[in-house]
Formats: sequence, structure tokens, C-alpha cells
Amino acid sequence: MNVRTAAGRAQPLVDGIEKVTGRARFTGDLETGNCLIGRILRSPVSHGRILRIDTAAAAALDGVVAIVTGADCALTFGVIPIAMNEYPMARDKVRYRGEPLAAVAAVDAATAEAALELIELEIEALPAVYTATEARAPDAEQLHEGKPGNLEREVHHEFGDVKAGFAQADLIHEQVFECAEVNHAQMEPHAALAEYDPERDRLTLHSVSQVPFYVHLTLARCLEMDSARIRVVKPFVGGGFGARTETLNFEIIAALLARAAGGKVMMRLSREENFLTHRGRPDTRVRMKIGLSKSGQITAVSCEAVMAGGAYAGYGLVTILYAGALLQGIYRVGAVKFDGYRVYTNTPPCGAMRGHGTVDVRHAFECVLDRMARDLGLDPFAVRRANLLEAPMFTDNGLMINSYGLGECLDKVEAASDWQARKGRMPLGRGLGMACSHYVSGAAKPVHWTGEPHAVVSMKLDFDGSVTVLTGASDIGQGSSTIVAIAAAEILSIHMDRIRVVSNDSVITPKDNGSYSSRVTFMVGNAAIEAARALREKLINAAAAKLEVAPEDITCEGESFFVEGSTQSALSFHEVAIAALAREGTITVKGTFTTPQKAQGGKHRGGAVGSTMGFSYAAQVVEVAVDAETGQIHVEKVWAALDCGFAINPLAVEGQIEGSVWMGLGQALSEETRYVEGLPAHANFLDYRFPTIVESPDIYVQIVETIDPLGPFGAKEAGEGALSGFPPALVNAVGDAIGLDANFLPLTPDRVLAALIKYQKAARKKEAVT
Amino acid sequence: MKRIITLKINGAPVEDAIDDNVLLIDYLRGARHLTGTKQGCDGGECGACTVLVDGRARLSCITLAASCEGREVETIEGQATNGRLSALQRAFHQSLGAQCGFCTPGMIMAADALLRRNPTPDDTQIKAALGGNLCRCTGYVKIIRSVRAAAGMGREAAP
Amino acid sequence: MSRALPKFRLLRPESVEQALDALRATPGARLCAGGTDLIVNMRRGLVAAETLVDLSGIGDLKTIGMDESGLRIGAGVTLRDLADHAGIALSYRAISQASRAVAGPSHREAATIGGNLCQDTRCLYYNQSHWWRKSTDFCLKYRGDICHVAPRGKRCRAAFCGDLAPALMVYGAQVDIAGPKGIRRIALTDLYREDGTDYLTLGRDEIVIAVIVPPTDAASVYDKIRVRGAIDFPLAGVAVACLTTPDGAKQISIAVTGTNSRPVGIDVPPLQDREDPKAYFAALGKRMQKGVSPQRTTTIAPHYRRLSVAALAMRLARSLI
Repeated sequence: MNVRTAAGRAQPLVDGIEKVTGRARFTGDLETGNCLIGRILRSPVSHGRILRIDTAAAAALDGVVAIVTGADCALTFGVIPIAMNEYPMARDKVRYRGEPLAAVAAVDAATAEAALELIELEIEALPAVYTATEARAPDAEQLHEGKPGNLEREVHHEFGDVKAGFAQADLIHEQVFECAEVNHAQMEPHAALAEYDPERDRLTLHSVSQVPFYVHLTLARCLEMDSARIRVVKPFVGGGFGARTETLNFEIIAALLARAAGGKVMMRLSREENFLTHRGRPDTRVRMKIGLSKSGQITAVSCEAVMAGGAYAGYGLVTILYAGALLQGIYRVGAVKFDGYRVYTNTPPCGAMRGHGTVDVRHAFECVLDRMARDLGLDPFAVRRANLLEAPMFTDNGLMINSYGLGECLDKVEAASDWQARKGRMPLGRGLGMACSHYVSGAAKPVHWTGEPHAVVSMKLDFDGSVTVLTGASDIGQGSSTIVAIAAAEILSIHMDRIRVVSNDSVITPKDNGSYSSRVTFMVGNAAIEAARALREKLINAAAAKLEVAPEDITCEGESFFVEGSTQSALSFHEVAIAALAREGTITVKGTFTTPQKAQGGKHRGGAVGSTMGFSYAAQVVEVAVDAETGQIHVEKVWAALDCGFAINPLAVEGQIEGSVWMGLGQALSEETRYVEGLPAHANFLDYRFPTIVESPDIYVQIVETIDPLGPFGAKEAGEGALSGFPPALVNAVGDAIGLDANFLPLTPDRVLAALIKYQKAARKKEAVT
Repeated sequence: MKRIITLKINGAPVEDAIDDNVLLIDYLRGARHLTGTKQGCDGGECGACTVLVDGRARLSCITLAASCEGREVETIEGQATNGRLSALQRAFHQSLGAQCGFCTPGMIMAADALLRRNPTPDDTQIKAALGGNLCRCTGYVKIIRSVRAAAGMGREAAP
Repeated sequence: MSRALPKFRLLRPESVEQALDALRATPGARLCAGGTDLIVNMRRGLVAAETLVDLSGIGDLKTIGMDESGLRIGAGVTLRDLADHAGIALSYRAISQASRAVAGPSHREAATIGGNLCQDTRCLYYNQSHWWRKSTDFCLKYRGDICHVAPRGKRCRAAFCGDLAPALMVYGAQVDIAGPKGIRRIALTDLYREDGTDYLTLGRDEIVIAVIVPPTDAASVYDKIRVRGAIDFPLAGVAVACLTTPDGAKQISIAVTGTNSRPVGIDVPPLQDREDPKAYFAALGKRMQKGVSPQRTTTIAPHYRRLSVAALAMRLARSLI
């Protein structure tokens, strides 16, 4: 194999200078003097029939330029084509507190806010349901027509003979876990800048999206415009984590306002409004049953997941399908049964969040497995090792696995944490716990199935000798623009400086499905490699013609083309570029990536969800100190290892692993979005307590490289896989520290103390009896 | 009611007529076009808006611009010298202290306030000084590393 | 996106007299020091004032004096400067610790001790946006008729959450209050009343100008229960001071924040020389639990705050024995 010059070397981000200098322009930074300010009027009730919305007084206010309501858009939207049941602004019915009802564009914020106060509302309140249990009750008020029991989607899958599997087991555990709803809390609040040109009937939207392509389609649909008249641009985006993997109501509302005003409208949402727009991980109740043989082999798994998904469909059916599908693909699991229920509730809609669908189910699985290992007298590492897969293979639900580094991840964190010497030998109140996890490298089948390639990257070479990479992949901070630049540099043997990446402007860059399900490195990376190869071929042909040798005799290395053994006649990159341009003028090439048919999952209904080209694998060990008097948990250290196939940019891979482990820590310890009669109780950064730097632990990261046969340079995803291992590793560590097996997330001090008191009482009772 | 304020921003004297109720962040971003300073929360909860006022870290989203009369305000745009990155900027760039970059300006300004008081902080001191600056991408691991690296570089960073 | 601040006039007096004149001349004016409490509340539509009197330009309020007669801290001293004061760290440790425990470092650069003592009470139903509060018909503390925390009660249950008050109270601190009739000095504990809406005994035309702490040989400590290591307000904060009397007894004083609408001093008997500490601390824990009344003012359960405040008090007291 060639020595790599770019891929595999730690690189700062290609757009890092902009970020550290403040020159990076995020959507909210694009406001100019002639911009109207948009504000949204939101429902004060959880569930109700809209009787009247009177905007006359607001419209009469000096400085108000446009007002729109649900009457201005009668078309639904939603990311899943078969489940579009949301209006940008409510019509007829409101289904959650905070749902948009109307919006105002005015000359300044104060005027827009004053106008909202003047809009008169008459809403007939209906009974509301806030939890899955309430929503499923026989007499519960129904949110949507045709959805009895408020059931958005149920899933029943069975692979293998589950009954026989449990019959074979020497030990069976069944436990229920309550995992609270959480939010992405990306640092940049939502914003959209919409500009409408009535003379040309053209719309330009700048937005914070992870999926500008979906936003483009949705705008065309909801505004009933030819998509050719729409331009969508994604500027710098301050994080996403799934919050922006579907079109969001404020994007459509901003566009409607701009059209109504015939101008430019800046819509910046408050942090509270971000929590109302939500799309986070749903509150999930998981019943997990596992059968194990004495030696620790899993014989069967049965899992029920109930998700309170909020008021609209969003990604819901995908979330519930992921929850079941990703029971597989990490261990040999014997027979598997999954029953999933996605339920409508009168709360902000849930959606995709980092580790989409798998996190709470993986949490339950890894906790139960750990407790069973304890009962069998097995080491937690041993019980995982007893069930390792062997690649290449397909799982019973049709998931393709071509590379599998979980064993190596286990070895690495076991050694680094000194597990064998320390586990079980720590003082009371301190403990070690571990868990494993995995995640897809892109969904093998996109939600908008058009038959097109999954990814397209273009490259341009021109007279100046620079290479421009054009990509629709949304860099939201994860470093995807850097990945495509590295791929180009590697294949073309050129310096990173020679490359510029232009991304996310629908009039310039090729369409891309977006940044979700960890698809970008795998799909866009492969497309970039293919594009660079096409360009390289043209350059080699031009060099060969110039040097009067056959193309196969040309070596291309370090921006120089030469014939092996005669470096005197070497041609510089720019010389060869000029020669190549002489043949055809400005060179543009294209690379694509299409997922192989065999990667696209099983034939069963919903079988496409979970299917992917390759899984990342992670293992982690968490060390905790628990204060049994106050219920406070301190995470002392984390050791994490992740198999990402190949680390194209090891610096970014480390950053992604650290970030995902840490986000798991937040969900495990302190994050939750609760509602008071449908009003958010955590809609700010004082009450939505994601960790500060002070209590965040040191995370020791190791990278495992298994070189996936289909991955770009062998790479797989790196940004999600480690998240879902943290919460169970933490709970397992707490169990080790104080004996308490917690069946809830997050482990806030009040919950821990209450559970501990109960646990101690039970222990005393048991002692008294024996 | 408008008032005239005179202050220094990133070393340059400035005079502006502003309303009494204008927040420093809105003044910087609006009137001065210094959009590097970010608003991440609804007021005083995240640190993304951190700037220096007379060398001390302050939350510009809960500071009235009028209260900065006669003071020296420094923002992320004032970090570089003739386009060359400061040590902190270089360290955050090279060590991936910035992922999405939204918390970065505030984080760098808070770190700068620390390094001016304590040029060689240990990890505990770094954590204490950045306790009010939230980041959602990095898990803070590389932010700590960046500040440590910057402390090692000295104030003017060699490229 | 940042909600527009209401229109107001900002006055920037340079002396306490000017500030008092401003208060007298403009009824309804509000005092503002560091702004870390008031401006945040203004951004949420919780303050309607046509005039703000900014105290940050008054140099006289920014001095710390310490000698054998005790400690005098000007109300305008920032929490950062308080935390940096080596003498206070040595002789009045709880005050130093409490000043470091507030919010985050950038807040403490602006926030003042006077502001922290007068900080508005907090509640899940109050510290919300205008839309949020309007959706639930507001509340007793501001613009509404009922308390959502205790709907049958007659008073607002919002909790006082300043960190400094208990640390000062265990030293028997007093405050100097300037008003139209001159300066009056009261015990800090008398600055407060158990009413979330009307939690200060301060007149609208008065200004807290200094905190006076008597000289002491007592050892002290402050710590707070919170979920995160920074930013969070105290779910419960506890200050303990301990003085050994000539007969060998330990005189213990305890004060608590975050559990009631005012900071609460807890009466505890001294630990006698020969007394069994185990029984003493068990009784102390019970006394703590009885002495506080946390309500559903935060997302963290009141019962937990009651238990943890007792656990923390016992731990802190033990550490001083």
C-alpha cells in the first residue's frame, strides 16, 4: 500500500481559522440594515381547537410589515414522505404548548414583539396527554385523526425462535428502564434569513440546517414554488446533533414572511424557542429481557420500547425502527423479539438525536447484561467477549457487517483502565463500570428515495492551479469539509493549501442528502475519492503526453509528476494542470457513491432502517465516585476506544469520540426536558443542565482501525458510536460503587438519593429476615 | 433616550450615540458589526458572549453598553495582530479546541482573561476560569488542551 | 432573538447621595449594580422600570476595610474581588468560599456583594419567558393572582438563592443602609422576610451600602448542593461557623440559602466538651430538616433539598470540629 500523505494525519479543520477569529459567519450574523425582524406567536395551550386568530390590531401597528398565520399555508410537511402531518403554523388544532400559530415581520424586534401581543386568539381547550401512558389510556383524547390510541407507529419484529432461545438460557433477567427526554442543546440557537424577490419570484434562504436539500424540497412544497426558484444556503452552523436533520417550522415561516413582505426577514429563535422546536430524544420506557447461558452466551433477547414522541410524526417511525434494528449488529444475540410503540403526546415533537433510536435501548441492554454477568460470576468484559461477532457477516435482520473491531476496543479500554487489577477492589463509594455500543455509518437507504447516487462531489481545476471541491455535505462542526479536502489531497498528492472547499449553496454545489446518521465521511468521503481519482487520471494523462511516456509510467508524488528513475524531467503540479487544461479548458470532474444493494437491509417491513455499509464499535470504562449522603455522582475518568475503520483525520476522530462520550455523560447525569402541564420546565441553560467544564472528566481516547473494505480509505463513522455506551457504563459503575442498580436516566442527585434510600431500606429488611 | 458613549474597542477609540437600554452584545454586533461575539442563550447562562472589559471577562449579553463609558472593550476580533493569530487562537485552531466554533470566541476571551492573571495555569485553574463557558461539541477535553498549549506558547504565537 | 429590553432611562450617579436623590426624584426607579440578576430578569420581561439607577460608578462602594474592629465590605465590591481578598480567605473562609461559589467566573467579575444580598427570589414559575408565564396566567410574584407552587397559600414561595447571605449571617454580619433619613445599621438577617414577593425589608428609597462583619476567631465553611460544578444556583447552600469557647464547647452557627424565601439561620446548641458527637450530629441533622421548608420552586424535588441540606450541614459542621 502507498504511504499516505494526507489521510491518517492529524489536521486542524480547514475552516478553523474562521472559527477562532470570529470571522465565521453563522446565520444569525448575516443580518443587514434592511432586514425585517421575524417573531413567532406560539400556542399558550397544549391541545385545542382554534376558533379565531385575529391579526387586525397587530397589522395596524406602525412598523409591522407582514403577518402570516396557518391560513397562509395549507400544506403539511415532515421528513418522512409517508408521515407528513405538521403545518408550519397550526390550522384548526394546536397540539402542543409552543406550537406556532402566527408570525410577524416588523421593522425591529420591539415592534414585532409588541405586534404578537396584539394578536387575538380564541382557542377551545381540549384534554391533553403528556406521557405515553396517558396517551395510550383507553379514554385518552386523540391528537390525530386515524391514529387511535395515539399510536403513531408500532413495530413487531421477531428473528429466530425467541421462545426456544429463552428455554435454552440458564439465567433470564427482565427489567424496565425509564429514560428521560433530552435535547441537543447545540450552542447556536436556530436562525433563518429569508429573502424574497417578488420581481423574479425567487426565494433565498440561509439557515442553520443539517439538511439543506430537505429544506429546499419542503420550501418548494409548502410555498408552492418551483424548486428552481429557490436557493438554500447553509452558512457556518454551530452544532446540530440531529436538531436540524429535518426541515423546521421556523424555516418555512421565515420564507412565508419574506414572501408576504416582499423582502428580507431575519428569524432568530430564543433558547426557549429552541426547546419548543425540540426534535430531541424521546422519553423512552424500555423493557429488556435477556437470556444467558452459564458461560455468558446470549440465547435470546426480547425488548419492548415505548416512546413519547410529541405532537407530530417527524422522524418518529425511524426512531422506533432504529431502536429495534440496532439490538443486532454488535453481539451474537440469539433470537430477537422487538415490540416498539411510538406514541403521540401534547409536547414538542421529538426527532433524531445523536445515536438516533439506539441510545436508550442500548442503555437497558448493557445494564441488564452487566447485572447478569454479576449473577453468573462472570467479568463484564468476559460476558461481552463471549458474544463477539465475526466479520464479514449478515445479522438475522439483514445488517451487513464487513469490519468489526469491538474485541480490540475491549482489550484497549480494559488495559488502559487497569480494569483487572482495580475492579472490585475499590473503596466503598468508588466504582468502575463498562459498556459497549455501535452505530451506523450512514443509512443505506435515504428517506427520499429517488434512485440517485447517495452522494456526489464535484471538483474543479482551473488556470490558477487550485483545486476547488464542491460539496453539498453540511459541515456543522464535525469537520466534514476537512474530510473531503483530505480525500482530495491524498488522491491527488497535493498540499491541503491548494484545495478550497465550497459547500452548501444549492446554486453551486451538488445536492447532498445532508449530515445525519453519520453518513458523510462514508458516502461523501467515497464520492470525493472517486472525483479526485477522475481528476488524477486526467492529470496523469496530460503529464504522460508531455513526457511522452505511457500514463502507467507516471508517478505522482508531492505535487510532482515524473517517470520513475528520471526525476530531472519532473513536472510540477501547475505545469501538468496547464497541460491538462490545454486539452479541454477548465476541468470539472464528479465522483459519486451509491450504497450496494446488499447493504440495504432485510426484506421485512422497516428493514431498511438500521441498514448501513458499516458499523463503528466502541467500548468504554467509566470510573465514578458516589456521595451516598447527597446522591451526587462525580465521574473521575473515562477510557474509550472506538473502531472507526480508519481515522482519516485522527484529531477530528478524537474530538468526535470525546464529544459523544461527553454527550452521553450529560444524558446520564443531568440532562432532561420535563414539562409542567405541557410547559417546558427546562427551556434554558440553567435548568437544562448539560455539564460545565468543571465537572467534565478527563476522557482518554484510543482509536481502533479495522479498515472497512467499503469505507473511504477504510473509514467508518466516528461521531455517534461512543455515545450510547456512556450511560450504561456509568450506571454499571454506580452499581459497583454503592450497590445500587439504577433503572432510570438521568441520575440526578435527587433521583439517586431517593433510590438509594429505598435500596438501603430493602437491604435492611432482607438482612432482618435472614 | 440616546446618549453619547466614548470607549475603546479593540484598542481604537470609538464614539457612538446609543439608547440607554442597548446591551453591549447588541451594540457590538449591530452598531460595530463585530459579529464574532455570540448569543447562545436567553441571557447570562452560556458564556458565548464573553468579552473583556478593562481586561476582565464579562458577559456582554447582560451588560449595558452605556455602562462601558470610558472603558476598554476587547472582542475576539481584537485577538489577532495584523492578521496573525494570537497564541490562544492558534492553539484552539491546531488542537481542535473549536469544533462548531460557536462557543469559541467567548471561550478564547475567557481564557485570555485567565492567562493575563495567571500565565501558567494548571488544569484545575483552567476549569475554574472557564466554568461559565458552555461548549456542546468538545466535551472540553481539547479546550483544556488548547489553553494549556497557548500558555506554553507565550503571548505572541509563532505560526 | 434576544428579546428587546424595555425602554428605560439609565442614571449613573457617582455618589451614594446622588443615587439617593435619583431614587427620590424618580419613583419606581430600580437599582442596578453588576446587572447579573436584574438585566437577566429584564430580558425575560420580569422588570418594568422606567429608570435604572446604576450603582457601578460609585467608587465609595467598592472598598474593603479589614482591621481589629472587623471587616467592612462596600456593597459595590465585586464577587471576584471578594474572592481574591487574601485576608478574607484567611479569617472569614465561608465568605470567600461563598463568593467563589456564585454562578460562573464572568458573572463574578460584574456581580457585587450588595447585588447578591438583594438578589431576586427564584421560582420555576417565575424565571420564565413572558410567553411561558402568560400561558399559565402569571403568578403571585408578578402580575398574577395565585402561587402555582402552593395554590392554596396566601404568599409567594419563590426561593432566595443568594450564596453570600448565609456565609455572612453565621458571623452575625450587619448591613448599613443609606436612606432619606441617613444611614441605619441592621442585622443582615433582618434585611429579609419570608415572602417571595416582598423578601427584602429595604425601602424603595434605600440602598444597601456596606456589610459589616465583626472580628472573629471562628472557623467557617460554605458549600452548596448543585447538580453541576459551576453556573447553577444553590439547590441548597449551607454556611457553618464554629467557635471554641474557653470551656472547650463548640459554638456552632448555621445558615442556609436556597430553601426558603429568605436565608434562614438555624438555631443549634453548642457541642459540649464531653458530648457524644454522633448523637449531636444526628440531632443537628434533624434540626436542619425541620428548620428549612423547600418548595416545588425548582425542577429538583423539595424532599431531596431537605435531605441534602441536612447531610451537607452535618458534613460541614463535622469538618470544623
